[in-house]
Amino acid sequence: MTTTAAPEARPAERRTAPAAPPPVRRRRRRGDALGRTGPSKYLAHAGVWLYVLLLAAPLYYLVISAFKRNTDIFNQPFSPFTPLTFDNFGLAFSQASLGTAMLNSVYVTLGAELVTLLLAIPASYALARSKGAVGRMVERVFALGFLIPGFAALVPTVLLSISLGLFHTREFLILFLPASALPLTVILLTQAMRAVPAELEESAVLDGAGPLRVLWSVYVPLSVPTLTVVAILNFLSFWNEYFFSLVIIGPDAALRTAQVALPTLSIANAAQYGVLAAGIIITLVPAYLVYAVFADKMESAVLAGALKG
Amino acid sequence: MTTLTTPHRPSPDSSDRAGSTDRADSPAPRRRRSARVREAAQLSATIPALIWFLVFTVGPLVSLFSFSTVNWRGLIAPRTPAGLGNFERLFTDPVVGLAAWNTLLQLVVSLPIVVLGAFMLAYYLSLKPRGHRIMRALMFTPVLLSASALAMVFVGVFAPKGMINGFLDAVGLDELARPWLADGTSALWAIIIVTIWCSMSVSAIMLAARLNSVDESIFEAAEIDGAGHWRRMWQIAWPICREFIGVVTMLQFLWTLFASAAVVLLLTRGGPGNATVTLAFLVYDFAFNQSKVGYSQAVAVVLFVVGVAGILLIRRAFRQKY
Repeated sequence: MTTTAAPEARPAERRTAPAAPPPVRRRRRRGDALGRTGPSKYLAHAGVWLYVLLLAAPLYYLVISAFKRNTDIFNQPFSPFTPLTFDNFGLAFSQASLGTAMLNSVYVTLGAELVTLLLAIPASYALARSKGAVGRMVERVFALGFLIPGFAALVPTVLLSISLGLFHTREFLILFLPASALPLTVILLTQAMRAVPAELEESAVLDGAGPLRVLWSVYVPLSVPTLTVVAILNFLSFWNEYFFSLVIIGPDAALRTAQVALPTLSIANAAQYGVLAAGIIITLVPAYLVYAVFADKMESAVLAGALKG
Repeated sequence: MTTLTTPHRPSPDSSDRAGSTDRADSPAPRRRRSARVREAAQLSATIPALIWFLVFTVGPLVSLFSFSTVNWRGLIAPRTPAGLGNFERLFTDPVVGLAAWNTLLQLVVSLPIVVLGAFMLAYYLSLKPRGHRIMRALMFTPVLLSASALAMVFVGVFAPKGMINGFLDAVGLDELARPWLADGTSALWAIIIVTIWCSMSVSAIMLAARLNSVDESIFEAAEIDGAGHWRRMWQIAWPICREFIGVVTMLQFLWTLFASAAVVLLLTRGGPGNATVTLAFLVYDFAFNQSKVGYSQAVAVVLFVVGVAGILLIRRAFRQKY
């Protein structure tokens, strides 16, 4: 019995590892989860699977439509066995200049990631080491930042970009997006760096390392797990950013990001879902790749994002 | 913030050690001052981040309040003071009234469904039934969708010849088919459904992670006492996760209030007529399509106040009770 249960228990242990060591955890048998509940368990299973079906249906429709000809989308909307075509992907690329748009998105996302880390790492390092009241106050300032809903300041942000001479540029977003990511990034990194044992730092200092050297050789390597979580979280929010890119970078095909370019496909192809579906899939690829590579980290990243309240 | 457990470094211990080496040669006051100087030097590393935060987050937010009191026809047009005129106009403007009603409806319908539904799903997932891993992977997909990708997925779902009408046609209910987004009543419900679709699964995954960190012996004790799953879910799991459920509710509240503006813009542009306008959408629409910049900022101030009030209210309602 225990051999069949062992693989199930593992993911739970991984998630809770920092909180509680797992040796006493008792295991449930597979398929037996609602075992002792009466007939109502069928209701529960049915309800959940109905939900899963409703969740999956638009995604299924999206994926099969991307590989279909338009007439097949209309005539056999749910059949996966219609003639396969890749034309939609080519059309999506050419109609919305998606190639340029994807490169713009990569530029903005990576630029903003870099600026975020350059600002957040030294700040977190200082906050983690400081024990005084000022440090606590600065930390509280960042914690309050969570409560600020950025969307309310849409118009003033546009004005800021105009007054900096950066309206209709991608560079303004590279500078602006890190500000929205800083509170969470700084708080999570500060916590990770507080957990660095003081002895390590002391021995580095005895070896003659200055503060920068200590940061680079002791703190940064030891906070790599949190750095990864933070980077994933920021990658997703930067890559998927829509409203500020729309109003600040604007609709110019040479500068706009993928998220701004994508909706133009729906206007250009009012009755052709295939091209739009292909476009959606193309813009999803980078986010999906990050998910595929860091699947186990993703959950803790999203969880960390939730905890910011 | 209270949900984050802060692993403090054993600070009294290490400062004692530093103190004991100094004590012999330097008098106490100077040592305290030099410690303060050292702290200031250390904290100077936070200055760039603070400047960023001030310029790009706090600055725009503060100017929001002053912009809401001017008459202003376009981003490059001159401004003239309007006092509180913009706010007085808000209360008599039927479009703003409709937007407030739609926003309220969206919140009142979607918040309970998402939070209660996500909690039940999370409890189900935490039992690790057959297929739970496939379910999790599927439920994660909406996290990866941007607002524009999400809206575009549903362009295909609600289109006159889209998924829903195709389905109704296939099961012989084609008289129910309609252009969902062009119909005044169904369009608003379509927006609400999109909101629920994309956020319920995310909330469920977060809640499931929280439930997995609960000590299982609590549930086992309840099981031995004869409590069924229904009672364990609402009388044990819910109170334990109460505070975290509050966090999820808060995120959902903010998301519905602000981020759904993109969904409205991309699916209906507030139409047909003004049937689907929301407050957040009006902030954008007034400023960028109708040349009423000052007026749009008054809406934004209202939205901001509602947002902060909502956060405080939710936080109070979900305060841990034991």
